[in-house]
Amino acid sequence: MKVRLTRFALLLALTACTEHATAPGVCPDFCPGGQIGVVDTIFTDMIERDTAFSGYVEATGGEVMVVADVPGAVDSRAIFRMNAMPTSIVIHDSTTSPIIVDSARLQIEILHRDTNATNLWIKLYRLPLDIDTTTTFAQVIPAFTDSIVDSVSLNTLLSAPLINDTATVRIWTVPIRTDSAGHILRVIGPDSTLFLDTYLDTAQARFVAADSGRVAFGVRVSPDSANTIALGTSDIGRGARLTWFYNYLDSTATVKYDSLSRGPIFDSFVFNPPTPPIDSNLAIGGVPAARSLLRVKIPRLLRDSADVVRATLIMVPVGPVPGAPADSFTILARPVIADLGAKSPLSTNSPFFGTKVIHLNVADTLRMELTDLVRSWALDSTLASALMLGQAPEGASYAQIRFYSTRSPAFRPTLHITFVRRYAFGVP
Amino acid sequence: MRRVFLLLMIAALALAAPALAQDSQFGIRGLGTPGRGESVRARATGGAFAPFDAFSPLLDASVADVRRVTAGVTTGTSWRTVDFGTESGSLRTSRFPAFVLAGPISSRLAVAAGFSTYLDKSFGIATRDTIDIRGTPEPVSDEVTSDGAVSDLRVGVAARLHPRFAVGFALHGLTGSTRVTAVRRFDDSTTYRTSTARDEIAYHGVGGSASALLDLGTDLRLAAWVRSDTHLRADIRGRTVSDDDLPFAYGGAVRWRPGTQAAVAAAVAWRSWSGAGLNAHDTFNWSIGTELGSPTSPVRFGVRGGQLAFGPGAKAPTEFGLSAGIGKQFSGGRGRLDFGIERLERKGTGLTERVWSFLLGLTVRP
Repeated sequence: MKVRLTRFALLLALTACTEHATAPGVCPDFCPGGQIGVVDTIFTDMIERDTAFSGYVEATGGEVMVVADVPGAVDSRAIFRMNAMPTSIVIHDSTTSPIIVDSARLQIEILHRDTNATNLWIKLYRLPLDIDTTTTFAQVIPAFTDSIVDSVSLNTLLSAPLINDTATVRIWTVPIRTDSAGHILRVIGPDSTLFLDTYLDTAQARFVAADSGRVAFGVRVSPDSANTIALGTSDIGRGARLTWFYNYLDSTATVKYDSLSRGPIFDSFVFNPPTPPIDSNLAIGGVPAARSLLRVKIPRLLRDSADVVRATLIMVPVGPVPGAPADSFTILARPVIADLGAKSPLSTNSPFFGTKVIHLNVADTLRMELTDLVRSWALDSTLASALMLGQAPEGASYAQIRFYSTRSPAFRPTLHITFVRRYAFGVP
Repeated sequence: MRRVFLLLMIAALALAAPALAQDSQFGIRGLGTPGRGESVRARATGGAFAPFDAFSPLLDASVADVRRVTAGVTTGTSWRTVDFGTESGSLRTSRFPAFVLAGPISSRLAVAAGFSTYLDKSFGIATRDTIDIRGTPEPVSDEVTSDGAVSDLRVGVAARLHPRFAVGFALHGLTGSTRVTAVRRFDDSTTYRTSTARDEIAYHGVGGSASALLDLGTDLRLAAWVRSDTHLRADIRGRTVSDDDLPFAYGGAVRWRPGTQAAVAAAVAWRSWSGAGLNAHDTFNWSIGTELGSPTSPVRFGVRGGQLAFGPGAKAPTEFGLSAGIGKQFSGGRGRLDFGIERLERKGTGLTERVWSFLLGLTVRP
């Protein structure tokens, strides 16, 4: 009996060696003397210096071409020049045959638009071939006045019945909508990108052999506060496509028909009024893109005696950014790897980034969460405690926002920090 | 069979080895929960046999009767329920509270060394609250944990000055550490990050003790002891964060052995914990126990009562316990296994604790 009892007791000892030592706390009588104290403070002087820099990304390097016409606010137009075409076809050895262009089809991608627009006309203009990165809004005004090539009502197209018969879908891969002028509209992809195809005759798309078939176009929208669209550019592989349809005589003098597609060699957008030059405030965005560098001094309190649980950057805008009400842009805050001023290399560690969407025509104070970034600065004194604020993506919006800098004491950038004081261990 | 049994026993002790001493919610707001300084044999008798047990690190004079080098180790597991009236919880902890190595150095002198738990400082507290941050109520969960203990490292010497009289003295070094963590989690973890503070607290202190055993005839033995500890200093990264007085303690016991297979003992102890800071109280503890049956496989029973050193309010929390156990010698008396079970109930202002403890002790004479 005793032997059995002994073995049972030993078995109990073997199975009992796990811990569960956490109990509900009934404070203060049965809790430690220390308190987990949360402090919430706006540090007005943590951002000790700041600077704005301009000239990072031009409109020609942007991901989209912004087209908008908001009376009294902004008039932005897309301009692009298509790549050259061969003017003849090699039909046998070195024998060539000139091509005779009979029509063309221009395809543009509309990446985003204001879905509240009710009278959105997209107008296509023929532009001179000399447009380039230095072209200004004023320089293209004449062409946008007298060289209209085509116009299409996007609302009419969107309200047209969907054509989804097999023959159509086999040609276009998706159902289409069309209007009486033959414009084709397709909605593709999860982001509902619109593909607009416009057929152009030889008067609209002039194939000039002396120009190697190069043509330039401009796009604007009809004036309305809701009329704003963004066209894809070649920088992201979503630029306009111009397909030339032509015929030629082969070696047996038989007429052959063919087509060749060309993308843009240059695409950009111009707008009015232009982005004003940098002043004493902090500028972010616009074209050319501006960035602002904020240099932060982490107080000893946060390094030694506190654990940051939330950090919010607060910046007061100088005023609302004028533009289409539906337009917005994102401000991206990225830590710098080293503070080298305008050319500071930026971190690619995305968990430390901060973002905030800015809506146009609103002058709300910017509040951007930077908790992980400020925590990293508090924990590691070797890090460069500075961040660069820029638009994301850059060069893709006419809108530039300006904030008061440290040179405006009443409205200077601040950090609103919530932290937990160091726990008083060892005190009963 | 015995080898398998021994292997299982060693495995059981090894598994329990990293564990800590017995804790109590009453000690959280004080210095901790004082350890018992009792072997499993003494514990099974309610602590009454501790003054007469050489492997209970309480009374040094009892080491004088150790005539061969012997080691004793105690381990055990506790299941504890805490009832605050509005809230309750169930806890389980394992512990390794005592180890004693003793042996003679001459016909009259014996020495002992070892360690035991002086103050257990292991606990975990979880609370929920809603705090106002930036004008918005934010629900939070806090967890404060402490893992560690203050150990009593003892080096003692005992001398049998007369066949009926023995004395003992010991120096005690109090040392230990606790790993402490305070975590605050916000329900809105997207906006607020979890705050975690960790540290390690080191504890230091010294003490001394003296004791005596007096036999009044062959059946009756009296014991008396006194102990004084100085201060307990708590340091975090070399900076002293607290320095608390430790108690002066004394006690006495009597054991009556009416026959070869029966013994009865009773013990009392006073400790002046009240100088040890907030929520501290002087304590008086008593115990009565008996050991019956053959010395090779005795059965033990005990009862204990008294006060706890720490607890809220002006009055010290009380403790009452019942215990029982068995012992089993093996290998011709070179080894002994002791098992014990104890039921404790602690009551104080706002809290009642009930504890089941299972104890395992091993004594080896190489």
